[in-house]
Amino acid sequence: MTKFLAVIKREYMTRVRSKMFVVTTVLGPVMIVLFTVVPALIANLKVGVTRIAIIDQTDGGKMYERVRQSILRKGDDENEAESGEGQATRAMNSNSLERASSAERQRETSYVVEPIQLDGRSLEDVSRELNEKIGKDQLDGYIILPPDVLQDGEVLYYGRNVGDVFTREQIRDRISRAVRDQRMENEKIDRSLISKINKPVNMKAKNSESGRTESGGGFFFVFIVGFLVYIMIIMYGQVILAAVVEEKETRIAEMLFSSIRSFPLMLGKLIGVSLVALTQFAVWGLAFAAFAVYGVGMLADRGMNVSLPPVPPLFFIYFFFFFILGYFIYATVYALVGSMVTTTQEGGQLAMPILFMLIIGFYFAFPVIRSPNSPLAFWVSMFPFFSPITMLVRIVTQTPPLWQILLSLGIGYATVLLLMWVAARIYRIGMLMYGKRATIPEVLRWVRQA
Amino acid sequence: MTDNGSTLKLSGVTKRFDEFTAVNNLSIQVRPGRIFGLIGPNGAGKTTTIRMIVNITAPDEGTIELFGQKMSAEMQDRIGYLPEERGLYKKMKIADQLRFFGELKNVKGKQADEAIDRWLERMKLTEWKLKKASELSKGMQQKIQFIAAVMHDPDLMILDEPFSGLDPVAQELLKDVILELKAAGKTIIFSTHQMEVAERICDDICMINKSQKVLDGSLRQIKSSFGRNSIALRIEGGTDGVLEDQSLVAKYEIRADEIEALLAEGANAQELLKRLIASGASIGKFELVEPSLNDIFIAKVGESQ
Repeated sequence: MTKFLAVIKREYMTRVRSKMFVVTTVLGPVMIVLFTVVPALIANLKVGVTRIAIIDQTDGGKMYERVRQSILRKGDDENEAESGEGQATRAMNSNSLERASSAERQRETSYVVEPIQLDGRSLEDVSRELNEKIGKDQLDGYIILPPDVLQDGEVLYYGRNVGDVFTREQIRDRISRAVRDQRMENEKIDRSLISKINKPVNMKAKNSESGRTESGGGFFFVFIVGFLVYIMIIMYGQVILAAVVEEKETRIAEMLFSSIRSFPLMLGKLIGVSLVALTQFAVWGLAFAAFAVYGVGMLADRGMNVSLPPVPPLFFIYFFFFFILGYFIYATVYALVGSMVTTTQEGGQLAMPILFMLIIGFYFAFPVIRSPNSPLAFWVSMFPFFSPITMLVRIVTQTPPLWQILLSLGIGYATVLLLMWVAARIYRIGMLMYGKRATIPEVLRWVRQA
Repeated sequence: MTDNGSTLKLSGVTKRFDEFTAVNNLSIQVRPGRIFGLIGPNGAGKTTTIRMIVNITAPDEGTIELFGQKMSAEMQDRIGYLPEERGLYKKMKIADQLRFFGELKNVKGKQADEAIDRWLERMKLTEWKLKKASELSKGMQQKIQFIAAVMHDPDLMILDEPFSGLDPVAQELLKDVILELKAAGKTIIFSTHQMEVAERICDDICMINKSQKVLDGSLRQIKSSFGRNSIALRIEGGTDGVLEDQSLVAKYEIRADEIEALLAEGANAQELLKRLIASGASIGKFELVEPSLNDIFIAKVGESQ
């Protein structure tokens, strides 16, 4: 027992005292903020002025002014058709993604528009001339409005960067708006009447259990929980892999095995590192609590209203059990892989398929958030390689019946025991084998023999 | 522990890896308070044997008895093991590592700290106590590993190639320490493929080659049983082809300022001396010497093939 505790203590102390731990603990929350805010900020970056020329072939060139104004006018308030889809995304992914996509939508690309007269020249000549200007970076693109644009004529957009979907779509939308307005005017339809008819209905979403208005902050929280479990499992799985490979490659394993059995050694290592992860969570938890108690009040005094998502205390207990479950499933596999390989790089490759499982589990979080009670959500939250993320996501969005949670935990921890049983057998032999990577048939034989 | 009992007894130990037999029917006895050399070329089965002794792997056949008891996990605390392949935790401070290795042998707290200080002092590494292993030279790391193997004061120590990679000063220091441990009544198993090193410090030896025991016994016995058929010579001037005479000299080797000649079977040393004098060479030295362990080993291996 002393020996087992010595292993746990060593794993814990050397890591908690390391600079790496301090850095990740401090930067962790910063990173999460960055992951959610930065995409929105980047999307908001001014990309500079887009210079566009317009060749208007309509009768009397009367469309030019309308199109110019439409392109220069900001916002696409009339594009209900396009933003309908956007609203679905908005509802699903709440803050971060929604912010990013709507920022993209409203991105204030500035345009400079100039008219081009054919003045008797052929369209080809003018096109060639304009292409040259684009080549010399005097222009970014040009638009040809065909004479029948009000009927079903095709507008042509030539640009240096037609791959910039956002700009292309924006230009298309704005030309459409101009054309629509012109059509309405031609048909003598009052524009304000149309907007009155098209006005969408107002809807407020309330949680059926708590009766609280859902601002979307809850979904944001779900996303962070899933992401946190995912990142922490990967991070600490790598820690285990590196630790095992170190002991194998420096041949410390031989010293260790002459003092302690392989199973308590492996288990001690897994537990020691898990305590490091839990310490990190505890620090973050306290920081969050301190912010909830003091920070929000302080901000409110200064007129900033921050509403934190409601987190029931029970959630922390579930989080503990599911995080530990996920950690032990993946860390055991990493320990096993580490004992088979000779370098961490090799280990990384071999662990790829397992890592994919975790990534898939993370992606399943999205359909689960959308319909947490679907059969899909049920099954993916029972599968032990996914459940640490998917079940937690279900618990946060719409807590499933207790029996489902317990069943998921039961399946999960049974899997952990099975994995450890297998890993311990491979570990003992793998750790003493030097120089080459163990093959899968070899490993299977070890499991049967030991 | 009685003097006539043995510290370690292997009886008919065999270890196989799939089709390959790493150790075949090996029986050895290690007497207390002696330095026992386990010698043989690389790949002979030394490391596999040691791994079974320290209970890292179990033999397929045969038994291993330690201090008169059957091998068990508890017994591991009474053994100190310095593996051939060495390593330390690179980013851990020396004192912390040693404390950890001590705890793995059930040595804790003050007792461990005292042992660490005492040993660091003895190995002349005190000022490195709070440095990380990665800051130490390879030789220093090796000395630290040695401390890790002996700090819990085990009755049996197994040292696998302890001298390799050490500079002459450190080798001398380590040799002194090993002899001190022996004087304190510890039993030491010493594994090496360098026969000259074994020759200098071992009381008893066991030679193994290709998984089999080739020879064992006390060093003195073995040497005397091989007879004195080797001659150390220092000659000035030509020998008129005397040394080339195959009926007298089986082979000879020219060392720095000496010639080592091995007498042919049935040849007489006096005859050789007479012939050399007759050849007109001026003889500075003519000494009958014991065969080296290396010579014995080569002879033995040649015999078994």
